[in-house]
Amino acid sequence: MSTDLSLLSAALDRVVPAIGDLPGAGAMGLAEVIVENARQDRRFETALKTVADALPDDFASLDPAAQDDALRNIESAQGEAFGLFLDITYSFYYMRPEVHERLNWHGRAPQPEGNELPPFDDSVLEIARQRAPLWRKV
Amino acid sequence: MTSSNGKSDHTADVLIVGAGASGAAVAAWLAEAGFDVVCLEQGHWQNPDKYATLDPDFDFQSMSKWSYDPNKRGLPEDYPINLDDSPVTPVMFNGVGGSTILWTAHAPRFHPSDFRVKTLDGVADDWPLTYEELEPYYDMNDQVMGCAGINGDPGNPPRAPRPMPPLPIGADGLKLARAFESLGWHWWPSDNYINSIPYGEGRDACNFCGHNNLGCVQRAKASTDLTYWPRALRDGAELKSGCRVSEITVDAEGRASGANYFDQNGELQHQQARGVVMACNGIGTPRLLLMSTSDAHPQGLANSSGLVGKNLMFHPVAFIGGFFPEHDPEHDGEWVGPMANILMSQEFYETDPERDFVRGYTYQMARGLGPAWTARGGFADRAPWGEDHHRTVQKRLGRGLGVAVMGEDLPEPHNTVTLDPVMKDSSGLPAAKINYTLSENSRKQLDHAIENGRKLMQAAGAEEIVVNPFIQESGWHLMGTARMGDDPESSVVNRRGQAHDLDNLFVVDGSVFVTGAAVNPTPTIQALALRTAEFIATERTDLKR
Repeated sequence: MSTDLSLLSAALDRVVPAIGDLPGAGAMGLAEVIVENARQDRRFETALKTVADALPDDFASLDPAAQDDALRNIESAQGEAFGLFLDITYSFYYMRPEVHERLNWHGRAPQPEGNELPPFDDSVLEIARQRAPLWRKV
Repeated sequence: MTSSNGKSDHTADVLIVGAGASGAAVAAWLAEAGFDVVCLEQGHWQNPDKYATLDPDFDFQSMSKWSYDPNKRGLPEDYPINLDDSPVTPVMFNGVGGSTILWTAHAPRFHPSDFRVKTLDGVADDWPLTYEELEPYYDMNDQVMGCAGINGDPGNPPRAPRPMPPLPIGADGLKLARAFESLGWHWWPSDNYINSIPYGEGRDACNFCGHNNLGCVQRAKASTDLTYWPRALRDGAELKSGCRVSEITVDAEGRASGANYFDQNGELQHQQARGVVMACNGIGTPRLLLMSTSDAHPQGLANSSGLVGKNLMFHPVAFIGGFFPEHDPEHDGEWVGPMANILMSQEFYETDPERDFVRGYTYQMARGLGPAWTARGGFADRAPWGEDHHRTVQKRLGRGLGVAVMGEDLPEPHNTVTLDPVMKDSSGLPAAKINYTLSENSRKQLDHAIENGRKLMQAAGAEEIVVNPFIQESGWHLMGTARMGDDPESSVVNRRGQAHDLDNLFVVDGSVFVTGAAVNPTPTIQALALRTAEFIATERTDLKR
């Protein structure tokens, strides 16, 4: 698939805009990552191509409001593809360490560390145990 | 690959089709009883050391190669499902362990009343067996799969102690529990086939990564590749993975004689057997029976009643969630623990004549899974793109909990699994086609549950309440498409799971369900499978050489 990465980057900057010191998703370099990973899954690859092909050629030079209008038009006309485009964008944006840092998030894969919780505390059932049986006898 | 005792082509005593929840249980029982068992599984062994939760891009993997929707996963071992006429997407996994690889391992039981819905409520049909008859097999299954739970639930009959204490419910679980109590409603910690302590062969305790909807690196979540299959293989069962059955064959008398299958190289092979056990789930089993036409069985195997593929039941699911002002500072702002199976309420489980629907539903608590999941709309709509994106994610991240509603779907003959005339799988076999309509009774159940769910979230202190009135990708529970009963004209198999039409064919998956109750079905599927296995081992010794 041949995708215009500069156009896609501009779109990503509107989809997940800059906040604080963090650049938008496009300026963060996410376009290449998304295109590369979408190649693993035909649904995402097709959706990304659909959205990218629908972007106006002059999208990068439009003002932000016009860019948002263009994206809204694509969202309206190509809802399913646009949804998959958002899913893959969010999925890889929230993988970035700098994003985790801003969210004060631990920023690691779920395993192998996992999390710690104290063992089950039987005392939480004190009220629930007082309930009379409510299952129907047959 | 073949996991076996080195046996080559031969006539097996029993051929099992499908290596998932039920097929594995039957294989273990019969192999231990000395039967020559062969199992054909279209999928492959999974390596828990390579599951997605070890990878930074686990979230993307959960939408692609580890999706539980076979149409999205699209692996060669998956078969496509035509959903043009179904609002519910069936989800499953094809591999050794079957859907237990990607299930959340919730392990509730049916209630005694679930087996008597016709007698009690005048709807559907009674089962040809009772809760009490099935109870010993539930207990056996709890031991092998490893059940974490605690006695004393007023919502269910007393039962044998579980082998492990419950998983902790967490601070968010306690918040929801107190909300149930404030309304005077039942709640109880969920029974799980997830280890709360090390249990079983090489299986560690849960470390609360949260993703019990994916494969478990800790091997804490029970899947039958880790529980039943090691026993079965040790006792001599042969498991041929990557082998897709195309047809159950019959002999001159019309009795099952084995199966034709495509091996790993795509070559058509035949496995001879004296008995055949179908364990392919509520879609795969009717699909294969309908593909197995012959002069003796022109409508498909075991289908003289015309009921193979009919009466498909799902559990229609709605979701009511809340976002709360506080979060858990001890875990980076996240409430942690399994994403589901934390606690449940069966306050509205049994029929109440005051309501405008029969039967009832269960509430099951769910918790969030991090920023990508939150942004993609784990609890609510997908977070908006654009200027509002960051504000929305920040507001929702780590502050959400909710309840999924699992309602009892009654059997209706127009809800069907058939063979698609056009779509094919990677072997050229017909895809499954689903026709399903949500019934008025099921819709009323969900609406009742949504109204009460809002009260629950308010009682818990939610700042924002979100509702998904019908979750499309919720067809985990595939039931009813080869129902059991005493009458051959109104059922496909008898009370032992044995086909009425041919005495050496058995069905042990969710297809045999007469009704679906309002709980996750796998413990009941496995208990029924063990009961059928015991019948074969003790009453069908003629199959054994």
